[in-house]
Amino acid sequence: MDTVIRVNKLKKYYKVHQKEPGLGGSIKSLFSRKYYDVKAVNGVSFEINEGELVGFIGPNGAGKTTTLKVLSGLLYPSSGHVSVLGYTPWDRKPEFQKQFSLVMGQKNQLWWDLPAIESFILNREIYEVPKEKYQQTLDELVELLEVKDILKVQVRKLSLGQRMKMELIAALIHSPKILFLDEPTIGLDVVMQKKMRDFVKEYNKRYTATIILTSHYMDDVKELCQRVIIIDKGQILFDGALDEIIKKFANHKTLTVVFSKKVSAEDLADIGKVKEFDFPKAVIVVKRPTASLAAAELLQNFPVADLNIEEPEIEDIIREVFTGRDLA
Amino acid sequence: MRKYLTVFGLSFQNEFVYRLNFIMWRFRNVIRILMTFVLWNSVFSTNKMAFGYTREQMLTYVFLVLVVYAFVASAPSNDNIGGEISSGDLSNYLVKPISYMRYWLTRDWASKLLNIIFAAVETSLLYLWLRPQISLASSPLLIFLGVLMCVLAALIYYFLTKSAIFISFWTPESTWGLMFVVLVLLETLAGVIFPLDILPLWAGKLLQFTPFPYLVYLPIQILLGKFTLMQTLRLLLQAGLWVIGSWYIATKIWKSGQKVYGASGR
Repeated sequence: MDTVIRVNKLKKYYKVHQKEPGLGGSIKSLFSRKYYDVKAVNGVSFEINEGELVGFIGPNGAGKTTTLKVLSGLLYPSSGHVSVLGYTPWDRKPEFQKQFSLVMGQKNQLWWDLPAIESFILNREIYEVPKEKYQQTLDELVELLEVKDILKVQVRKLSLGQRMKMELIAALIHSPKILFLDEPTIGLDVVMQKKMRDFVKEYNKRYTATIILTSHYMDDVKELCQRVIIIDKGQILFDGALDEIIKKFANHKTLTVVFSKKVSAEDLADIGKVKEFDFPKAVIVVKRPTASLAAAELLQNFPVADLNIEEPEIEDIIREVFTGRDLA
Repeated sequence: MRKYLTVFGLSFQNEFVYRLNFIMWRFRNVIRILMTFVLWNSVFSTNKMAFGYTREQMLTYVFLVLVVYAFVASAPSNDNIGGEISSGDLSNYLVKPISYMRYWLTRDWASKLLNIIFAAVETSLLYLWLRPQISLASSPLLIFLGVLMCVLAALIYYFLTKSAIFISFWTPESTWGLMFVVLVLLETLAGVIFPLDILPLWAGKLLQFTPFPYLVYLPIQILLGKFTLMQTLRLLLQAGLWVIGSWYIATKIWKSGQKVYGASGR
């Protein structure tokens, strides 16, 4: 499989000025401004192959969106090497721009006062898509997203979910090989989130499109991405398969016990950290290597009716990774 | 080229969406013409001459200013680009194979065409009502060259205002204030408020070396037949040079602006 995206030691620093709160601060900032560097992306390297669907996860301000903006040529990096489909993104060559699309969940490219179909036609001309090809792609997308009835409705009259679907169509009308999706499900209800996910999955399969997706919703990532890249403070903490995260970062397991007779919480504290205790059920967090030992001890010394050893939830692990806090 | 034609068509449609807004705006234009007429009429009610102009000459000038300036300065780009830069909406264009500069030039010209159509109707009606004595150049060739000068003026205006508005890359917070100052300055120096030859001689001489008189004052003087054919051709050539010069500056600022553009607002 071909590598379509190569990123090597990418750095992007911003200069930001600090303003003290209030009017006084504003006046002060007229005369003297304190600047400091924000290291939005700080030495990031990765490669992505054709047809991969990769999830970028990380807290707000981690550098996910900045990375996407560099990849799509919006930002010039401070240093490092980036190649997408063999092009340097910020050269903004038309041949390159015709092959990718950037969808930002909170930005709209559609003409607000006109029906969405007009924006699609404009994009057809901008990307120089032949008429038959355009019609075919449009028909497919309209069917996949079920928007036939609202094509001719003014964009401003559409609901957020409907508009997001239209944004997707506008972004895909030139059949891009690479898709950067920045929070595509933000603000959508659960049903629409699911639909959007199904669509992304289908698009990835049908066209072997390479997709990078950022999202705050773990469900998006869990359902869509075989591979995730975790970014925090501008650096990659993890790059690999989703279930690898557990092996790498989870240093604990969870024991859920149901007791048949009363036990004291203090006694349980010897086994591990008691996270929850609500008789007859207790949840105890123990270090990973000692999990089976702890379970044996429980069974031997306590009146156990039921015992479960569980891997922690991915959300919990990721939260731990970001907060640097250890649950066990 | 076809993409810009589509942009042209969409801009045209877009203007019609806000019908009431459009009508109000045209109404404002008519009011402005009437006000200026009333003002100069009262100035000349006591004086035969003012600033070296007779009543007819001044009214003709004022009348032409309204037509020419409505054409040269009708530019929705001025109201939109600053916002697009500071909000990050500019990103939508930058990722596409389309030139932002040409995109807004196209939208401006769509707006100009629409304005011309309506201004033609309004001006004819006002003309019939007020009956100002307008003495245009007698040769059709000079009139044609005058119109050509208006086209060049519109281009200079575009690139000058774009040069100013692209400063928003560095100061995204102060776009509006900056544009306001620039537009007021442009209006004054271009001869919108008064004909430039009522200025002291040295000021007029100084202005000759700037692009500003080419925006409104000189096109009108050509239309009025104040210049010979040779003088007119020379002015056209100079205007052409200003188009290139202002285009060069705008492109330079645009290019370095890209380097600091933060694509903010997600």
